[in-house]
Amino acid sequence: MGWRDFQRKVKRQFSEAMELPGDVVLDLPKIIMVGNIQLFIENHRGIIEYTPEGVRVSVGEGEVVVSGENLMLRNILPDELCVEGKIRSLSFF
Amino acid sequence: MLLFRLMSALLGYVVIMVTGEAPERFVNMAASRGIYLWDITRVSEGAVLMKVRLGTVKSLRHIARRTKCRFHFERRVGLPFLYKRLLRRKALALGVLFFLATLYLLSSFVWFIEVKGNERLTVPEVLGAAAEAGLNRGMPKWRVETGRVETAIEEKLPLVAWTGVYIKGTKVIIEVAERVVPDAEDNRPSHIIATKAGLVKEVLILNGHPAVKEGDTVSPGQVLISGEIPPFEEPLKPVEEQKLGEEPKPQKTSRFVHARGIIRARVWYDGYGEANIVETGLRSTGRSETRVSIKFKGKEIILSGNQNVPYECYDTETLVKTIPQWRNLEVPVELVTLKYYEMAEYREEHGIEGARSLAVERALAEATGLIPKEARVTNRLLEEIQTGHPENIVRVKVTIETIEDIGEESLFKP
Repeated sequence: MGWRDFQRKVKRQFSEAMELPGDVVLDLPKIIMVGNIQLFIENHRGIIEYTPEGVRVSVGEGEVVVSGENLMLRNILPDELCVEGKIRSLSFF
Repeated sequence: MLLFRLMSALLGYVVIMVTGEAPERFVNMAASRGIYLWDITRVSEGAVLMKVRLGTVKSLRHIARRTKCRFHFERRVGLPFLYKRLLRRKALALGVLFFLATLYLLSSFVWFIEVKGNERLTVPEVLGAAAEAGLNRGMPKWRVETGRVETAIEEKLPLVAWTGVYIKGTKVIIEVAERVVPDAEDNRPSHIIATKAGLVKEVLILNGHPAVKEGDTVSPGQVLISGEIPPFEEPLKPVEEQKLGEEPKPQKTSRFVHARGIIRARVWYDGYGEANIVETGLRSTGRSETRVSIKFKGKEIILSGNQNVPYECYDTETLVKTIPQWRNLEVPVELVTLKYYEMAEYREEHGIEGARSLAVERALAEATGLIPKEARVTNRLLEEIQTGHPENIVRVKVTIETIEDIGEESLFKP
């Protein structure tokens, strides 16, 4: 267990103890889905790849992959983006 | 979101096509620099369509250079572009201007004149007076002097007490208030004649020659106050004052006037009533049944109610509704509502006193029905008619005496 992991562990415990939301303390993405038609990602780090079949979004560490059909980037702001279309799956890498 | 779309349409936005190795990088860089992009769709490999506000397009050039992408405008939407297009189409702009100018021009004329509040005056009279003061249909609004029109109408039409002239859009409203002028006196020669027979009680003459005096009996149609005033007969002057050779005065003829006056007379009204001491008959018990049926070509279909008459003794009321005839078409369908009222025999003993009071009541009702409202009742006489032999009936005669004005105007030709 390296220094990094230890740091993360402390942060998580701290946020759990203080009941602070994880996206603020841990720099995690906050993802909101509306059925399978809309998906909001807050706290993102940019788009890695975009095709109508899949969107790869970089988040704090790792990436979020949204796959589906006729995907479209509804809007994009420095820390928020919205994906619309027929979403089939959401996965983390 | 709707507000954002509206603002975009007002400020204008462009649809751009970004082509290059990695359009994602272009999007990322734009987003991180605070350039708002929306509706990003991929059309093909390495070509992305997106929308961007007109004001932020310039800074995209730099981003495109940095990310080795190219972009070109696909579509331009919004008010600024519409305005540019309008500037190019001179005829259209001219048409809009022409339309507005025409609208303004046409709305600066008087198109309608409405007259309000006139009862005895006719609209053409008021309009005629207004026209003399320079208010006509079709004249420009700025030349209408409302104050002058008002005074002109008031001067021209003496019947008008007040006028108000307002301009409302292309309509001029003339509001008039009419003066109440007493009716002209009727001066046609006329008599006052009696409408009823009576005994004259009071004679009050305002104009005319008395034809009756107090205490006279008059019959209907008789002249009470004559409209013909005979010449005043001068008492004969002493003979010695009459100079010889002087022409005799011309024969005076009688004057004709519109007779006026009040003739009050005593008038009698008779009423007769009778009542049985023992009364028998039929009367409604208050119970009723309704039968509704449809009649179609002689056949009757009962919709509701009993088929047989529910009462032994009854009275009926029939209401037939038919579809109104249209042209030659007559629908042979009728809706018949039959109402049965149950009747019952009754026998009532009033006694002599009761029967008399009933008879008096009936007689009085008959007599008072004839008396006009203004009449003053002075006397009431009751008389029981005796036939000599005992009967089941009481007969009563009532005479009511009133004092009333019996005069009525009647025109005549001298």
